[in-house]
Amino acid sequence: MTTESQFGRVDCQKHEALLEDYLNAELSGAEGKAAIEHWQNCPSCRAQLEDAALSTRLLRAAEPAPDPGPGFARRVMASIRAAESERSALRANFWQPFVSFGWRFAATATLALIALVSYNARWSRHAQPNVVTVRPTEGMPMDILAPEPTTVAANADEALF
Amino acid sequence: MAASAQALTLPFQAGEKKADDRELVRLSQSGTEAAFEELVRRHQQRIFALVAGILHRSDDVEDIAQQVFLKAYLGIKRFDQRAAFSTWLYKIAVNECWDYLRKRKVRPLTYEADLSEEQVSRLDGIVSSSRPPEGPNARAETREILDRMLGVLPEQDRQLLVLKEIEGFSVQELAEILNLNVNTVKVRLFRARGRIMDNYRRRMSPSAGKSHAGPAADPAAERKE
Repeated sequence: MTTESQFGRVDCQKHEALLEDYLNAELSGAEGKAAIEHWQNCPSCRAQLEDAALSTRLLRAAEPAPDPGPGFARRVMASIRAAESERSALRANFWQPFVSFGWRFAATATLALIALVSYNARWSRHAQPNVVTVRPTEGMPMDILAPEPTTVAANADEALF
Repeated sequence: MAASAQALTLPFQAGEKKADDRELVRLSQSGTEAAFEELVRRHQQRIFALVAGILHRSDDVEDIAQQVFLKAYLGIKRFDQRAAFSTWLYKIAVNECWDYLRKRKVRPLTYEADLSEEQVSRLDGIVSSSRPPEGPNARAETREILDRMLGVLPEQDRQLLVLKEIEGFSVQELAEILNLNVNTVKVRLFRARGRIMDNYRRRMSPSAGKSHAGPAADPAAERKE
Protein backbone atom coordinates (compact mmCIF):
# COMPACT_ATOMS: atom_id res chain seq x y z
CA MET A 1 0.00 0.00 0.00
CA THR A 2 1.35 3.39 -0.90
CA THR A 3 -0.80 5.32 1.50
CA GLU A 4 0.46 8.04 3.71
CA SER A 5 -1.44 8.67 6.90
CA GLN A 6 -0.66 10.12 10.30
CA PHE A 7 0.95 6.74 11.09
CA GLY A 8 3.33 7.00 8.15
CA ARG A 9 3.72 4.81 5.10
CA VAL A 10 5.99 2.30 6.81
CA ASP A 11 3.29 1.29 9.30
CA CYS A 12 0.66 0.89 6.60
CA GLN A 13 2.99 -1.08 4.32
CA LYS A 14 4.00 -3.35 7.20
CA HIS A 15 0.42 -4.57 7.52
CA GLU A 16 -0.48 -4.53 3.84
CA ALA A 17 -0.29 -8.28 3.20
CA LEU A 18 -2.45 -8.86 6.27
CA LEU A 19 -5.34 -6.86 4.83
CA GLU A 20 -6.17 -9.76 2.52
CA ASP A 21 -5.98 -12.20 5.44
CA TYR A 22 -8.38 -10.00 7.37
CA LEU A 23 -10.85 -10.03 4.47
CA ASN A 24 -10.66 -13.81 4.32
CA ALA A 25 -11.03 -14.09 8.12
CA GLU A 26 -7.62 -15.72 8.35
CA LEU A 27 -5.95 -13.21 10.62
CA SER A 28 -4.56 -14.50 13.89
CA GLY A 29 -1.69 -14.22 16.37
CA ALA A 30 0.14 -11.23 17.76
CA GLU A 31 0.87 -9.91 14.29
CA GLY A 32 -2.83 -9.91 13.47
CA LYS A 33 -3.67 -8.16 16.71
CA ALA A 34 -1.14 -5.42 15.99
CA ALA A 35 -2.52 -5.01 12.47
CA ILE A 36 -6.11 -4.66 13.70
CA GLU A 37 -4.97 -2.09 16.21
CA HIS A 38 -3.28 -0.15 13.44
CA TRP A 39 -6.34 -0.27 11.16
CA GLN A 40 -8.62 0.90 13.94
CA ASN A 41 -6.55 4.02 14.28
CA CYS A 42 -5.64 4.57 10.61
CA PRO A 43 -8.57 6.04 8.64
CA SER A 44 -6.82 5.47 5.32
CA CYS A 45 -6.33 1.72 5.87
CA ARG A 46 -9.81 1.42 7.33
CA ALA A 47 -11.33 3.05 4.25
CA GLN A 48 -9.45 0.67 2.01
CA LEU A 49 -10.64 -2.29 4.02
CA GLU A 50 -14.23 -1.13 3.62
CA ASP A 51 -13.66 -0.73 -0.09
CA ALA A 52 -12.16 -4.18 -0.36
CA ALA A 53 -15.14 -5.68 1.48
CA LEU A 54 -17.46 -4.01 -1.04
CA SER A 55 -15.41 -5.37 -3.94
CA THR A 56 -15.77 -8.87 -2.50
CA ARG A 57 -19.52 -8.45 -2.37
CA LEU A 58 -19.56 -7.18 -5.93
CA LEU A 59 -17.37 -9.93 -7.35
CA ARG A 60 -19.07 -12.78 -5.52
CA ALA A 61 -22.37 -11.79 -7.11
CA ALA A 62 -21.03 -12.97 -10.47
CA GLU A 63 -21.76 -16.37 -11.90
CA PRO A 64 -18.75 -18.72 -11.78
CA ALA A 65 -17.76 -20.85 -14.77
CA PRO A 66 -20.42 -23.46 -15.58
CA ASP A 67 -19.97 -27.11 -14.67
CA PRO A 68 -18.90 -29.07 -17.76
CA GLY A 69 -21.39 -31.81 -16.88
CA PRO A 70 -21.10 -35.58 -16.46
CA GLY A 71 -20.40 -36.19 -20.14
CA PHE A 72 -17.14 -34.26 -20.03
CA ALA A 73 -15.07 -37.08 -18.49
CA ARG A 74 -16.35 -39.47 -21.15
CA ARG A 75 -15.43 -37.02 -23.89
CA VAL A 76 -11.96 -36.62 -22.39
CA MET A 77 -11.44 -40.39 -22.27
CA ALA A 78 -12.63 -40.72 -25.87
CA SER A 79 -10.18 -38.03 -27.00
CA ILE A 80 -7.40 -39.80 -25.05
CA ARG A 81 -8.18 -43.10 -26.81
CA ALA A 82 -8.21 -41.38 -30.19
CA ALA A 83 -4.88 -39.69 -29.45
CA GLU A 84 -3.38 -42.98 -28.26
CA SER A 85 -4.34 -44.85 -31.43
CA GLU A 86 -3.08 -41.96 -33.54
CA ARG A 87 0.24 -42.06 -31.68
CA SER A 88 0.65 -45.81 -32.12
CA ALA A 89 -0.19 -45.53 -35.82
CA LEU A 90 2.35 -42.73 -36.12
CA ARG A 91 4.96 -44.82 -34.32
CA ALA A 92 4.32 -47.76 -36.67
CA ASN A 93 4.51 -45.49 -39.72
CA PHE A 94 7.80 -44.06 -38.51
CA TRP A 95 9.55 -47.46 -38.52
CA GLN A 96 7.81 -48.73 -41.68
CA PRO A 97 10.44 -47.43 -44.20
CA PHE A 98 13.27 -48.92 -42.12
CA VAL A 99 11.54 -52.30 -41.88
CA SER A 100 10.78 -52.28 -45.59
CA PHE A 101 14.39 -51.39 -46.43
CA GLY A 102 15.62 -54.14 -44.13
CA TRP A 103 13.54 -56.80 -45.88
CA ARG A 104 14.64 -55.64 -49.34
CA PHE A 105 18.27 -55.60 -48.25
CA ALA A 106 18.00 -59.11 -46.83
CA ALA A 107 16.35 -60.45 -50.00
CA THR A 108 18.98 -58.84 -52.26
CA ALA A 109 21.83 -60.11 -50.11
CA THR A 110 20.40 -63.66 -50.18
CA LEU A 111 20.05 -63.61 -53.97
CA ALA A 112 23.58 -62.25 -54.35
CA LEU A 113 24.94 -64.98 -52.09
CA ILE A 114 23.12 -67.71 -54.01
CA ALA A 115 24.45 -66.34 -57.33
CA LEU A 116 27.98 -66.17 -55.98
CA VAL A 117 27.94 -69.70 -54.60
CA SER A 118 26.50 -71.20 -57.79
CA TYR A 119 28.97 -69.31 -59.99
CA ASN A 120 31.85 -70.44 -57.85
CA ALA A 121 30.72 -74.07 -57.98
CA ARG A 122 30.37 -73.95 -61.78
CA TRP A 123 33.75 -72.28 -62.29
CA SER A 124 35.45 -74.88 -60.12
CA ARG A 125 33.94 -77.74 -62.18
CA HIS A 126 35.13 -76.28 -65.53
CA ALA A 127 38.60 -75.41 -64.31
CA GLN A 128 39.43 -79.02 -63.20
CA PRO A 129 40.81 -80.51 -66.65
CA ASN A 130 43.32 -77.70 -67.20
CA VAL A 131 45.36 -78.67 -64.21
CA VAL A 132 48.73 -80.20 -65.35
CA THR A 133 50.58 -82.54 -63.05
CA VAL A 134 54.18 -83.16 -63.85
CA ARG A 135 55.48 -86.56 -62.89
CA PRO A 136 58.99 -87.81 -63.61
CA THR A 137 58.77 -90.47 -66.33
CA GLU A 138 60.60 -93.70 -66.32
CA GLY A 139 64.01 -93.65 -68.02
CA MET A 140 64.33 -89.91 -67.81
CA PRO A 141 67.57 -88.95 -66.12
CA MET A 142 66.74 -87.51 -62.78
CA ASP A 143 69.59 -85.06 -62.89
CA ILE A 144 67.91 -82.86 -65.50
CA LEU A 145 65.38 -81.91 -62.90
CA ALA A 146 68.04 -81.30 -60.26
CA PRO A 147 69.54 -77.83 -59.95
CA GLU A 148 72.99 -77.19 -61.19
CA PRO A 149 75.64 -77.66 -58.49
CA THR A 150 77.20 -74.45 -57.30
CA THR A 151 80.85 -74.04 -58.19
CA VAL A 152 83.23 -72.51 -55.77
CA ALA A 153 86.14 -70.51 -57.20
CA ALA A 154 89.52 -72.03 -56.49
CA ASN A 155 91.37 -68.72 -56.52
CA ALA A 156 90.92 -64.99 -57.09
CA ASP A 157 91.60 -65.11 -60.84
CA GLU A 158 88.97 -67.75 -61.34
CA ALA A 159 86.53 -65.77 -59.43
CA LEU A 160 87.03 -62.82 -61.80
CA PHE A 161 85.94 -64.92 -64.78
CA MET B 1 -3.95 -48.84 -21.44
CA ALA B 2 -5.15 -52.35 -20.94
CA ALA B 3 -8.92 -52.64 -21.13
CA SER B 4 -8.86 -55.57 -18.73
CA ALA B 5 -7.56 -53.26 -16.04
CA GLN B 6 -10.98 -51.67 -15.83
CA ALA B 7 -12.42 -54.90 -14.56
CA LEU B 8 -10.46 -54.47 -11.32
CA THR B 9 -12.34 -53.37 -8.25
CA LEU B 10 -11.02 -49.92 -7.61
CA PRO B 11 -11.02 -48.37 -4.16
CA PHE B 12 -13.32 -45.58 -5.30
CA GLN B 13 -15.77 -48.12 -6.72
CA ALA B 14 -15.97 -50.12 -3.51
CA GLY B 15 -17.90 -47.31 -1.85
CA GLU B 16 -16.47 -47.98 1.61
CA LYS B 17 -13.62 -45.56 1.38
CA LYS B 18 -13.07 -42.87 -1.18
CA ALA B 19 -9.61 -43.19 -2.67
CA ASP B 20 -7.48 -40.09 -2.48
CA ASP B 21 -5.85 -38.51 -5.49
CA ARG B 22 -2.49 -40.14 -4.72
CA GLU B 23 -3.99 -43.61 -4.94
CA LEU B 24 -5.80 -42.76 -8.16
CA VAL B 25 -2.61 -41.32 -9.64
CA ARG B 26 -0.72 -44.48 -8.69
CA LEU B 27 -3.39 -46.62 -10.36
CA SER B 28 -3.37 -44.40 -13.44
CA GLN B 29 0.40 -44.74 -13.65
CA SER B 30 0.05 -48.51 -13.63
CA GLY B 31 -2.41 -48.33 -16.53
CA THR B 32 -5.87 -48.23 -14.97
CA GLU B 33 -7.98 -46.10 -17.27
CA ALA B 34 -10.93 -45.94 -14.88
CA ALA B 35 -8.75 -44.35 -12.20
CA PHE B 36 -7.78 -41.54 -14.55
CA GLU B 37 -11.42 -41.04 -15.53
CA GLU B 38 -12.24 -40.60 -11.85
CA LEU B 39 -9.47 -38.00 -11.57
CA VAL B 40 -10.99 -36.15 -14.52
CA ARG B 41 -14.41 -36.16 -12.85
CA ARG B 42 -12.96 -34.83 -9.61
CA HIS B 43 -11.01 -31.97 -11.14
CA GLN B 44 -13.01 -31.00 -14.22
CA GLN B 45 -14.93 -28.20 -12.52
CA ARG B 46 -11.79 -26.51 -11.16
CA ILE B 47 -9.99 -26.83 -14.48
CA PHE B 48 -12.97 -25.30 -16.25
CA ALA B 49 -13.02 -22.45 -13.75
CA LEU B 50 -9.29 -21.85 -14.09
CA VAL B 51 -9.31 -21.90 -17.89
CA ALA B 52 -12.41 -19.70 -18.07
CA GLY B 53 -10.84 -17.28 -15.57
CA ILE B 54 -7.67 -16.91 -17.61
CA LEU B 55 -9.20 -16.94 -21.08
CA HIS B 56 -11.97 -14.56 -20.18
CA ARG B 57 -14.86 -16.88 -21.02
CA SER B 58 -13.66 -17.99 -24.41
CA ASP B 59 -15.72 -20.45 -26.44
CA ASP B 60 -12.67 -22.69 -26.49
CA VAL B 61 -12.73 -23.42 -22.75
CA GLU B 62 -13.92 -27.00 -23.23
CA ASP B 63 -11.30 -27.72 -25.89
CA ILE B 64 -8.52 -26.33 -23.73
CA ALA B 65 -9.77 -28.27 -20.69
CA GLN B 66 -9.77 -31.49 -22.73
CA GLN B 67 -6.26 -30.73 -23.91
CA VAL B 68 -5.16 -30.23 -20.28
CA PHE B 69 -6.41 -33.68 -19.29
CA LEU B 70 -4.89 -35.27 -22.39
CA LYS B 71 -1.49 -33.78 -21.53
CA ALA B 72 -1.88 -34.91 -17.93
CA TYR B 73 -2.66 -38.44 -19.11
CA LEU B 74 0.36 -38.55 -21.40
CA GLY B 75 2.66 -37.22 -18.69
CA ILE B 76 1.27 -38.98 -15.63
CA LYS B 77 3.99 -41.64 -15.61
CA ARG B 78 6.57 -38.89 -15.12
CA PHE B 79 4.60 -37.24 -12.30
CA ASP B 80 6.47 -38.07 -9.08
CA GLN B 81 3.70 -36.96 -6.65
CA ARG B 82 5.98 -34.56 -4.78
CA ALA B 83 3.34 -31.89 -5.33
CA ALA B 84 -0.40 -32.43 -5.13
CA PHE B 85 -2.00 -33.76 -8.30
CA SER B 86 -4.30 -30.73 -8.42
CA THR B 87 -1.36 -28.29 -8.35
CA TRP B 88 0.38 -30.20 -11.14
CA LEU B 89 -2.84 -30.19 -13.17
CA TYR B 90 -3.41 -26.46 -12.60
CA LYS B 91 0.09 -25.71 -13.85
CA ILE B 92 -0.57 -27.70 -17.02
CA ALA B 93 -3.79 -25.70 -17.44
CA VAL B 94 -2.06 -22.34 -17.00
CA ASN B 95 0.63 -23.28 -19.54
CA GLU B 96 -2.00 -24.51 -21.96
CA CYS B 97 -3.90 -21.22 -21.64
CA TRP B 98 -0.78 -19.16 -22.30
CA ASP B 99 0.08 -21.35 -25.31
CA TYR B 100 -3.42 -20.82 -26.63
CA LEU B 101 -3.22 -17.05 -26.18
CA ARG B 102 0.23 -16.90 -27.75
CA LYS B 103 -0.91 -18.89 -30.78
CA ARG B 104 -4.04 -16.83 -31.20
CA LYS B 105 -2.06 -13.64 -30.52
CA VAL B 106 -4.89 -12.14 -28.51
CA ARG B 107 -5.09 -10.55 -25.12
CA PRO B 108 -7.55 -12.42 -22.95
CA LEU B 109 -9.40 -9.22 -22.18
CA THR B 110 -10.59 -7.47 -25.29
CA TYR B 111 -12.69 -4.56 -24.27
CA GLU B 112 -13.64 -2.15 -21.58
CA ALA B 113 -16.86 -0.59 -22.70
CA ASP B 114 -19.06 1.94 -20.97
CA LEU B 115 -21.92 0.60 -18.97
CA SER B 116 -25.54 1.44 -19.59
CA GLU B 117 -27.67 3.20 -16.96
CA GLU B 118 -29.36 -0.09 -16.18
CA GLN B 119 -26.09 -1.92 -15.70
CA VAL B 120 -24.78 0.82 -13.42
CA SER B 121 -27.91 0.68 -11.27
CA ARG B 122 -27.64 -3.13 -11.11
CA LEU B 123 -24.10 -2.84 -9.76
CA ASP B 124 -25.19 -0.19 -7.30
CA GLY B 125 -27.94 -2.51 -6.12
CA ILE B 126 -25.42 -5.30 -5.49
CA VAL B 127 -23.04 -3.06 -3.57
CA SER B 128 -25.70 -1.46 -1.39
CA SER B 129 -27.56 -4.73 -0.69
CA SER B 130 -26.09 -7.66 1.16
CA ARG B 131 -28.03 -10.13 -1.01
CA PRO B 132 -26.50 -11.31 -4.30
CA PRO B 133 -28.70 -11.27 -7.41
CA GLU B 134 -30.93 -14.30 -7.64
CA GLY B 135 -31.20 -16.64 -10.58
CA PRO B 136 -28.56 -17.77 -13.06
CA ASN B 137 -29.52 -15.18 -15.65
CA ALA B 138 -29.08 -12.26 -13.27
CA ARG B 139 -25.76 -13.63 -12.07
CA ALA B 140 -24.55 -14.24 -15.61
CA GLU B 141 -25.42 -10.68 -16.53
CA THR B 142 -23.63 -9.42 -13.43
CA ARG B 143 -20.59 -11.40 -14.52
CA GLU B 144 -20.67 -9.70 -17.90
CA ILE B 145 -20.82 -6.25 -16.31
CA LEU B 146 -18.00 -7.12 -13.94
CA ASP B 147 -15.86 -8.44 -16.77
CA ARG B 148 -16.09 -5.01 -18.35
CA MET B 149 -15.17 -3.31 -15.10
CA LEU B 150 -12.23 -5.62 -14.60
CA GLY B 151 -10.85 -4.37 -17.90
CA VAL B 152 -9.03 -1.56 -16.09
CA LEU B 153 -6.76 -4.00 -14.29
CA PRO B 154 -3.47 -5.40 -15.53
CA GLU B 155 -4.07 -8.89 -16.91
CA GLN B 156 -2.51 -10.84 -14.04
CA ASP B 157 -4.37 -8.80 -11.41
CA ARG B 158 -7.63 -9.42 -13.25
CA GLN B 159 -6.91 -13.16 -13.29
CA LEU B 160 -6.05 -13.15 -9.59
CA LEU B 161 -9.24 -11.37 -8.66
CA VAL B 162 -11.48 -13.50 -10.87
CA LEU B 163 -9.91 -16.77 -9.76
CA LYS B 164 -10.02 -15.79 -6.11
CA GLU B 165 -13.43 -14.18 -5.76
CA ILE B 166 -15.50 -15.64 -8.57
CA GLU B 167 -13.99 -19.08 -9.11
CA GLY B 168 -13.09 -19.73 -5.48
CA PHE B 169 -9.35 -20.47 -5.57
CA SER B 170 -7.41 -19.84 -2.37
CA VAL B 171 -4.46 -17.45 -2.05
CA GLN B 172 -2.16 -20.44 -1.52
CA GLU B 173 -3.40 -22.16 -4.66
CA LEU B 174 -3.02 -18.99 -6.72
CA ALA B 175 0.54 -18.54 -5.51
CA GLU B 176 1.41 -22.10 -6.54
CA ILE B 177 -0.39 -21.97 -9.88
CA LEU B 178 1.07 -18.63 -10.96
CA ASN B 179 4.50 -19.14 -9.38
CA LEU B 180 4.18 -16.14 -7.10
CA ASN B 181 5.02 -15.51 -3.49
CA VAL B 182 1.98 -15.80 -1.19
CA ASN B 183 2.46 -12.28 0.16
CA THR B 184 2.78 -10.93 -3.38
CA VAL B 185 -0.57 -12.50 -4.24
CA LYS B 186 -2.18 -10.96 -1.15
CA VAL B 187 -0.85 -7.48 -1.85
CA ARG B 188 -1.75 -7.61 -5.54
CA LEU B 189 -5.24 -8.83 -4.73
CA PHE B 190 -5.78 -6.07 -2.25
CA ARG B 191 -4.52 -3.37 -4.59
CA ALA B 192 -6.65 -4.79 -7.41
CA ARG B 193 -9.70 -4.52 -5.17
CA GLY B 194 -8.92 -0.86 -4.59
CA ARG B 195 -8.59 -0.23 -8.33
CA ILE B 196 -11.82 -1.99 -9.14
CA MET B 197 -13.68 0.08 -6.57
CA ASP B 198 -12.12 3.29 -7.95
CA ASN B 199 -13.36 2.26 -11.37
CA TYR B 200 -16.77 1.47 -9.95
CA ARG B 201 -17.03 4.93 -8.40
CA ARG B 202 -15.99 6.63 -11.63
CA ARG B 203 -18.85 4.89 -13.42
CA MET B 204 -21.41 5.81 -10.81
CA SER B 205 -23.37 9.00 -11.16
CA PRO B 206 -22.33 11.51 -8.46
CA SER B 207 -25.51 10.93 -6.48
CA ALA B 208 -25.19 7.15 -6.66
CA GLY B 209 -21.55 7.39 -5.71
CA LYS B 210 -22.41 9.16 -2.48
CA SER B 211 -25.37 6.99 -1.61
CA HIS B 212 -23.37 3.94 -0.49
CA ALA B 213 -20.20 5.57 0.59
CA GLY B 214 -20.75 6.55 4.22
CA PRO B 215 -17.84 7.77 6.30
CA ALA B 216 -15.19 6.21 4.08
CA ALA B 217 -16.70 7.98 1.09
CA ASP B 218 -13.69 8.31 -1.14
CA PRO B 219 -10.65 6.37 -0.10
CA ALA B 220 -9.21 6.97 -3.55
CA ALA B 221 -8.73 10.60 -2.57
CA GLU B 222 -6.47 9.53 0.26
CA ARG B 223 -4.62 6.98 -1.84
CA LYS B 224 -1.39 8.11 -3.38
CA GLU B 225 -0.35 5.71 -6.09
